[in-house]
Amino acid sequence: MTQARKQFILALEAVTKSFDGFKAIHDLTFYMDEGELRVVIGPNGAGKSTMLDLITGRTRPDRGRIEFGRDIDLTRLNEWQINRLGIGRKFQTPSVYTDHTVFENIWLSLEGARGILDCLFARVDSAQKDRIHDLLSTVGLQERAATKAGSLSHGQKQWLEIGMLLAQNPKLLLVDEPAAGMTDEETHKTGELLLSLAGKHSILVIEHDMTFVRQIARQVTVLHQGSVLCEGTVDEVQADEKVIEVYLGRGKRHPPTTNEP
Amino acid sequence: MFAAALVALAIPPLLNAITPEGHFLHVSAFTLSLYGKYLCYSVLALGINLLWGYTGLLSLGQCLFFALGGYALGMHLMLLIGKLGQYKAEIPDFMVFLEFPARFPTTGGLPPHWIPFRSFAFASAAVIWVPGLVALVFGWLAFRSRIKGVYFSILSQALTYAATLMFFRNDFTFGGNNGLTDFKVILGHDINTPATRRALYLASAGLLTLTYLFCRWLSRTKFGLVQRAIRDSENRVLFSGYATSHFKLFVFVVAAVIAGLGGALFVPQVGIINPSEMAPEKSLEAVVWCAVGGRASLVGPILGAIGVNALKSYATHAFAEQWPYLLGSLFVFVTLFMPKGLVGLPDQFRALQRKWRKGVSNP
Amino acid sequence: MAFLPSITKELRPGPVKDWSPALAAILLLVLCLVQAAAAATTPAPSSARSTLARVIFSPDISEQATLLRGLIGSTDPGVEAVLTAWRGGSLFVHDNPDGSQTAFLLDPTTDGDGHAQGLSILDDQPIPGPDAKPLLFSPSELTPADTTAKLRKAIKNTLDFMALGNPDPRFRKDAVVKLGQERNLEYLPLFEARAREEKDPEVSRRLAEALALTRTASPDPAVRVPALRTLGELRSVTSLSFLQSFEKKLRDGPTPPNDESLLAVHKTVLDIETYQQRGNLIGTAFRGFSLAAVLLVAALGLAITFGLMGIINMAHGELMMVGAYTTYVVQNLVRSAFGPSGLPLETYFLVALASSFVVTAAVGLILEQGIIRFLYRRPLESMLATWGVSLLLQQVFRHVFGAANVQVGSPSWLSGSLVIQDVLFAYNRIFVIFFAALIVLGTWSLLTRTSVGLQIRAVMQNRAMASTLGVRTDRVNMLTFAYGSGLAGMAGACLSQIGNVGPGLGQNYIIDCFMIVVLGGIGNIFGTVTASLGVGVTDQILQPWLGAVMGKITVLATIILFLQWRPAGLFVTRSRSLEG
Repeated sequence: MTQARKQFILALEAVTKSFDGFKAIHDLTFYMDEGELRVVIGPNGAGKSTMLDLITGRTRPDRGRIEFGRDIDLTRLNEWQINRLGIGRKFQTPSVYTDHTVFENIWLSLEGARGILDCLFARVDSAQKDRIHDLLSTVGLQERAATKAGSLSHGQKQWLEIGMLLAQNPKLLLVDEPAAGMTDEETHKTGELLLSLAGKHSILVIEHDMTFVRQIARQVTVLHQGSVLCEGTVDEVQADEKVIEVYLGRGKRHPPTTNEP
Repeated sequence: MFAAALVALAIPPLLNAITPEGHFLHVSAFTLSLYGKYLCYSVLALGINLLWGYTGLLSLGQCLFFALGGYALGMHLMLLIGKLGQYKAEIPDFMVFLEFPARFPTTGGLPPHWIPFRSFAFASAAVIWVPGLVALVFGWLAFRSRIKGVYFSILSQALTYAATLMFFRNDFTFGGNNGLTDFKVILGHDINTPATRRALYLASAGLLTLTYLFCRWLSRTKFGLVQRAIRDSENRVLFSGYATSHFKLFVFVVAAVIAGLGGALFVPQVGIINPSEMAPEKSLEAVVWCAVGGRASLVGPILGAIGVNALKSYATHAFAEQWPYLLGSLFVFVTLFMPKGLVGLPDQFRALQRKWRKGVSNP
Repeated sequence: MAFLPSITKELRPGPVKDWSPALAAILLLVLCLVQAAAAATTPAPSSARSTLARVIFSPDISEQATLLRGLIGSTDPGVEAVLTAWRGGSLFVHDNPDGSQTAFLLDPTTDGDGHAQGLSILDDQPIPGPDAKPLLFSPSELTPADTTAKLRKAIKNTLDFMALGNPDPRFRKDAVVKLGQERNLEYLPLFEARAREEKDPEVSRRLAEALALTRTASPDPAVRVPALRTLGELRSVTSLSFLQSFEKKLRDGPTPPNDESLLAVHKTVLDIETYQQRGNLIGTAFRGFSLAAVLLVAALGLAITFGLMGIINMAHGELMMVGAYTTYVVQNLVRSAFGPSGLPLETYFLVALASSFVVTAAVGLILEQGIIRFLYRRPLESMLATWGVSLLLQQVFRHVFGAANVQVGSPSWLSGSLVIQDVLFAYNRIFVIFFAALIVLGTWSLLTRTSVGLQIRAVMQNRAMASTLGVRTDRVNMLTFAYGSGLAGMAGACLSQIGNVGPGLGQNYIIDCFMIVVLGGIGNIFGTVTASLGVGVTDQILQPWLGAVMGKITVLATIILFLQWRPAGLFVTRSRSLEG
């Protein structure tokens, strides 16, 4: 295990986090290879978002280790420090700067210096301009560069946020329900985008939409009550007794079938 | 537009200088100082706007920094009075009255921290670094523990409240509730002559112009973008790798320094600085100037500060009893019906018009 | 012989007289006379009054002293009044046409010109003029009857002794304490006699104290040492300063260190000091708790509305003011309907408490419906709007009731103090502590035991979720705000019993309330309780050291530093929603 660890981009070991006695994450151990595209599924309250919170420094674990790349301890860093290491996060609800133009949104997210002085005297140079326009065409928003982000449609905001994430050129992308609120066509395009990024970047996707999961996933991890229930391909996971028990045992909520919207 | 505003700013001192007293166009030295006071308040309002309008931080303690700047210069002016005071003593009157010579016998009654304020340069520097330092310490504590929203507002209010209590104490060596007053000279000139008044007015106008230009420049930089991004979605900024607490701290300190500068020019024109100037309600009033004029705009705060204060000057003479009603209603009315202030009114009217037209075209 | 040695000593030059044992007998006799007279309740005015007149006109101060002594037995209240007036310089002398003199007091009722009749001290009747009509005197033209410092002291002493027979135990107690402080061995028989008669336990205790204190003046160690010990056993705080100086005197003098008196006084001083420190501690704790209770009552409503809606109601202090003024209005209504005393006035406060809840809840309801509900998504602006409301409310009340404080009376069961072991527990503060406990319990049960409470908690934890599950969040908001406002009103009613009621009442408490809410954390009653206790007790502990202002500043600074450690306050109901 120790030898294999060298190539992990992300390692969570025996992580526990509780809120007011409720164990959101319980003894969670999770590894991700460099360049991997991993999908995490699980019923509501399984601890998926809390897991992302722990990785990105939004909350700190009560116990356990979270390491990024070669021995960088994430539990001691805060959000912006973690981001600067190359971990980007897309939130579940689109979070863009509504009062800024699409162009400005991307500019603010572009990798590079982020200090106060840098910001006071920064100018958009032509290389940056080209990069921004490239990114905008990747996410299909080049026509809307001068539009205020607040007036975009829900799907466009999702795309813009993905664009902002790409602008950071992160080593690890954490994507929380990217397909939420998208049309089928948009969802499919998102899937293709994520697939094209895999390899260059490591990507961790949290998703409910099984059609989408099936489209993108090679390896799926199922979370339940704050720890890993099982791992495997989509087919393996869907056939797993425990997984069916967890989803069906909880009533009608989100059985992991491909027919789910 | 900007040039026109500059010209308008220059008219009152010009009229004061070239028209004789009693002429119908004459602006008296008193009125000039009143206008100068409005300009200082406008500077304060620009600082508040930088915080509230652009960064989403509602500080209810900005008048503390305003007053600190005022006290810093006021201390220098107090020391310049010298033997012109009531007690004909080297030290300011209140120190004689409070028997400071017995408390500080080695310095002849002057508390040691007053001594460097004999120098104008030191006092001017203190106008900047004292408010800046207080803001730095408080802001650092507040932002590093992620205090925001109403929590930040309330704590800043508590800060200014605590400071007010402190300054009210006689043994805090800043003149207790009477504060610092009865200034006679500034930079070797009699403080009450029309010429000095004109100079002070012009200095205020200059400060306002510079502050305005600074804010305009800041809002157009990437820093300005980050600032507004923090206001709209702080988490996104944080998760984009910006140390939002550093940015907020920077803005907070800058706003405090701006307030301090405004306060420093306020004091010689008004002739007094006392603890009531930093009382919590003053800061709230200043926030409302911004709200009335229109926050998150560069002109709004200036319009609001001048407008509300002109109204106050008029109202407290014409119907003093009713002024609190007017002010209170202003608070309520503006927040409910004019969220963008005076500056936003045209937009609001256009929106209303569109709505009305729609209503007419599809009944 | 003389009854008032300290005076006569000074008055009479020459050797100090040896006080004969007969003195005690006479004192006893006098005392018996007092008792007998009191029992018979038949005043003997003429003799006492004429003695009084003789005292006043006697040129010889030693005779005056002797005569004063004779007055002690008198139960005629007029005697006391005249002596008090004489000592205070409002006894006058009228020269009659026949050359005689009449001492008189001025009638308190004056005519239009400020003239008043002179009432003779002999019969309380007006002094007739030549035309047999009452003479009128102008106070400004009269000079009071002569007194000297010595005479005034003698009069005072006489009055004190008279007070020993006063039917009101409070007067007796004061007199005993004062006379005891003189440490005059001559008084011993008098104290002993009184002690045998005394029924009131407090006065008895004071008599025992006075006896012991007086006996410490005895030259005989066999008397002095037990007396010193008794003072220690009695925990006599009033004699502490004497004992301390007595101990110092003994130590500074040639007394051997193992002197019995010195040992006894040393132990006694230590005992009393320990006792006093304990008393101070209890007193501080009590004051801390009562301040905490006041703050708690004031802040609880604010904490609830803040926890539920995330907005700070800056007019909360003014809602308290509304409650206080409601109490004032109820009091006036009760007074005008039922007269200035009696049972209705004793119970008005309970009615006022209920009324202030109702009135303030109504004001809160209007505030919520009229302003706040439009500002839920803009918490910072809602602060400004509610601040505007607070300005408006203050000015309205200033207009209606005036800028000055109004007088709100306390029913008798809320005035005065309970004294336990020399520590004062003011009834109004005890009441507030109980009331605070009651309100906390009530609110807690409301939140945890009722369906409305369930809805409130649901909205607090997740507004959107509660809304989709069919909770009418707007109605919950409205009711909660009204309830929180009502609590503020009751807080105001309580404050009317403790402090001044004026238009600025709210401003005195509001910043403390904000701090408690911030410190206590959102949406947790026990956080508010703990924060109130913390602030209240800390404030009272710091005050004696730092003074009121610095104490307050220290508390504020501590809170800001505390938030470094726990930014979300003491207790926080953690929400798992993403955009927290």
